[in-house]
Amino acid sequence: MSSQATADTERLERGYRRVLAWYPRSFLADSEEEILAVLLATAAEGQTRVGWAEAWDLVRGAVRMRLWPAAPRPRAVRAAVKLMLTGAAAELAVAITMLTTAPAVRAAIAARDAAAVHGAAVHLILDLTLAPLVIGLWLWLAWANGRGEDWARMVSAACFGLLTLSMLAVLGQGGLIFARADVAVASAEWVLGLASVALIFTPRACRYYRPQPIQQ
Amino acid sequence: MQEATFLILTALADGAQHGYGIITEVAQISGGRVRLRAGTLYTALDRLRADGLIGVDREEVVEGRLRRYYLLTPEGTKVLAAEAARLHANATAALARLRPGLAGGVA
Repeated sequence: MSSQATADTERLERGYRRVLAWYPRSFLADSEEEILAVLLATAAEGQTRVGWAEAWDLVRGAVRMRLWPAAPRPRAVRAAVKLMLTGAAAELAVAITMLTTAPAVRAAIAARDAAAVHGAAVHLILDLTLAPLVIGLWLWLAWANGRGEDWARMVSAACFGLLTLSMLAVLGQGGLIFARADVAVASAEWVLGLASVALIFTPRACRYYRPQPIQQ
Repeated sequence: MQEATFLILTALADGAQHGYGIITEVAQISGGRVRLRAGTLYTALDRLRADGLIGVDREEVVEGRLRRYYLLTPEGTKVLAAEAARLHANATAALARLRPGLAGGVA
């Protein structure tokens, strides 16, 4: 190999190592030299820089490994994580719908009862403020349950309990009128919560959250 | 099972392979359609090892770098066989409906 080619390879290798630094330390200790050899073997002739596509592929892999370290995750836990991500997506969709329909809803309320406009506006601001928190909560619980954190199970169950109580309290007030869409969304989120909590408390999932100590 | 995972397991079905070997085998199996990148490959290998579907057969040092050979575990063989049978059944059903005469279905 000519000295120019060696210099090119060294430059490329430094580039790969910079991107690989995103990976968890445990993975690098075990596999950095191995993956580096594969990266250099698949690099194009004369390549001196890490391409965008391969950098993206590596960073995506690193993020996946950091968020969800590889461990045999039971199907029930994987399903629960998906349901929680669906919950976050549903909440996001609701927030976007509220934002985009706000002017039309406001006009409709004003046409019927001008005095109610202020109350409706306060309600909307409150809902929109809470939405990012609720989305964040769904995502956080999905992440932590995916990692098998035992506390995440308890927090999920507690959140579901609070959701149920708040729904019962609202329904118990009586005399309130709900839009059909409100009822549908609230019910959907409740069902998602119920299903994900049920899944993370199945016996197989329990073994994942609390691995049995290795028998000596 | 994702296609990349299926192809990685398939690449290991007839013997141990190292990382670069898996990439070339997968390209060959898929007729050049799937070109695995190193990030995707090693994320999948990490997970498959944790799930007990593949194991490390042996390690070599080539030109100063570690080369690890992976192979299917009995569990991995079972999972791959089940997935292959499922895909085969689906493909057979699709072909039978598309071309009843050719696939031996009832017209």
